Amino acid sequence: MSAAHFLPDTNWEPTAEFWAGAAQGELRIPRCRECGTYNWYPPKTCHHCGSPQLRWEAVSGRGTLFSWAVVRHVFVKAFEEEVPYVTGLVALEEDPAVRIVTRIVDCLPEEVGADMRVEAVFRPLVFSGSEKSVVVPWFRPATV
Amino acid sequence: MTASTTPANPPDWGFPTEFEDLSGEVAIVGVGEADPSKASGRTTHAIAAQAVERAIADAGLRPEDVDGVIYSGGLGDQFDAAAFHAHFGTNHSLFASSEGGGMAWAATAPVVAARAIRERKASCLVNVFSVAWATQRANMVGGPGEFHAKQRFKANLEMPFGWFPQPVYFATIARRHMLEFGTKPEQLGAIAVSCRRHANLTPGAVMHDKKLTLEDYLSRPMLVDPLRVEDCCLISDGGGAYVMTSSERARDLAKPPIVVAGVGEGQSGSGSYWSQQRDFTATPQVFSAPGAFAMANLSPHDVDVLTLYDPFTIAALMQIEDMGFCAKGDGGAFVEGSALDFDGGVLPYNTHGGMLSHAYVLGIAHVVEVVRQLRGEAAAQVKDARVGVYGGYTGQHASTLVLRRDA
Repeated sequence: MSAAHFLPDTNWEPTAEFWAGAAQGELRIPRCRECGTYNWYPPKTCHHCGSPQLRWEAVSGRGTLFSWAVVRHVFVKAFEEEVPYVTGLVALEEDPAVRIVTRIVDCLPEEVGADMRVEAVFRPLVFSGSEKSVVVPWFRPATV
Repeated sequence: MTASTTPANPPDWGFPTEFEDLSGEVAIVGVGEADPSKASGRTTHAIAAQAVERAIADAGLRPEDVDGVIYSGGLGDQFDAAAFHAHFGTNHSLFASSEGGGMAWAATAPVVAARAIRERKASCLVNVFSVAWATQRANMVGGPGEFHAKQRFKANLEMPFGWFPQPVYFATIARRHMLEFGTKPEQLGAIAVSCRRHANLTPGAVMHDKKLTLEDYLSRPMLVDPLRVEDCCLISDGGGAYVMTSSERARDLAKPPIVVAGVGEGQSGSGSYWSQQRDFTATPQVFSAPGAFAMANLSPHDVDVLTLYDPFTIAALMQIEDMGFCAKGDGGAFVEGSALDFDGGVLPYNTHGGMLSHAYVLGIAHVVEVVRQLRGEAAAQVKDARVGVYGGYTGQHASTLVLRRDA
């Protein structure tokens, strides 16, 4: 698979608002207007109450590291220059049941720890050999 | 009549499939394995044909005696009715179902067979599955990653972050299991070492000639921390098949019948999105195994030999917990040392080597192995094995097949 396979399709309707938010430095998650539940991945109806009234809302971008892996092997060529890198799941401060798949940056793999407090940081994802880039939410150790 | 599948406090992140009680109705009367290998240049059909030929011969039957074929509708190029006729030069009426094959379906194909026999659509059915993923990977097509890359939430919300392919999912799950329950690398290693020891004893196993000690395991570099390459399954060419008929008719055939005592299936509400499964360190065996054991009127304590769909050591560990062989979180301590060895272990496990060391043929060889164990024909034979279980797993599904020697 080429690098292009690893850039998101920012126009795909179910996640378009997530990527539009990232471009503006916001982490956006669909929230039920009736019961207030955050829903992830984006469903058509609220997984808690069944309401179709879901609205994308900006969240704080803060959370804790739920789990992670340190990728040391080049499984796909697109990530050849990235290894070793840390990828994993962040539990959102607003609702820890919402887990965002992300990369942990600005620290060494050895510095990553359980329940570490993290915050979103928005940077362009670029793969060498590809002209396109997309701003994505990565997470770094919390600074405040 | 449906099987009782409801534990006292069922979790709500998934659900069981309700099967009618079919305990004792059908038996496995023939098994066959295609030669497992690394990249071999064989086609998926050719591999399947070898397995089916061997399974039919093992049952002492002729191709014309088989009037039903069950295969995988989910994976391409499988051995369907047309392929059966083309290979054997037959033209008789063949019942066909695409609700079978390997993975979770290697356990639930007996449900398809029982229904077909009850409804007189067929009397003798073969379930078959094969892959040529080692050959295909060399040509950069097919393989397990391709399926996941086609799922659009994965493509849009996981792959951009390098959370791909499967070893990365299961490393993340293993880490969480370690954080929650204190599971240790040497406990995952014990699973890999037992599987390797069994493969060393099993002719034809891909890793037959390669030894692995726990010290070897611990000295290996991390592939995707906390998993080493030895925690991950092989990529192989191979396949298998098993022939089923009514238990009554089975008694007149060549081999001792191995009776289907119970079948279960469970599903995760979050599908194959591992990242979003509410109980991150569990498998849908939580929903599958209780129904299968209830249908069989047996419990995990009765099991003499267990085979599990084992893409990764951690996937086996979680299933062992979720099927009730030990309490949730105690899996690490349970599998330590030689607990899973065929000779003297508390739970003889993947006695052919599993997908880690025998071949990655997606569970079909696991069912073949259980049948051989219950007949007393296995290479790493468990003494007087009477009850055997196969656990299937896809992430989204888990399934449980309880087999026993005919009384």
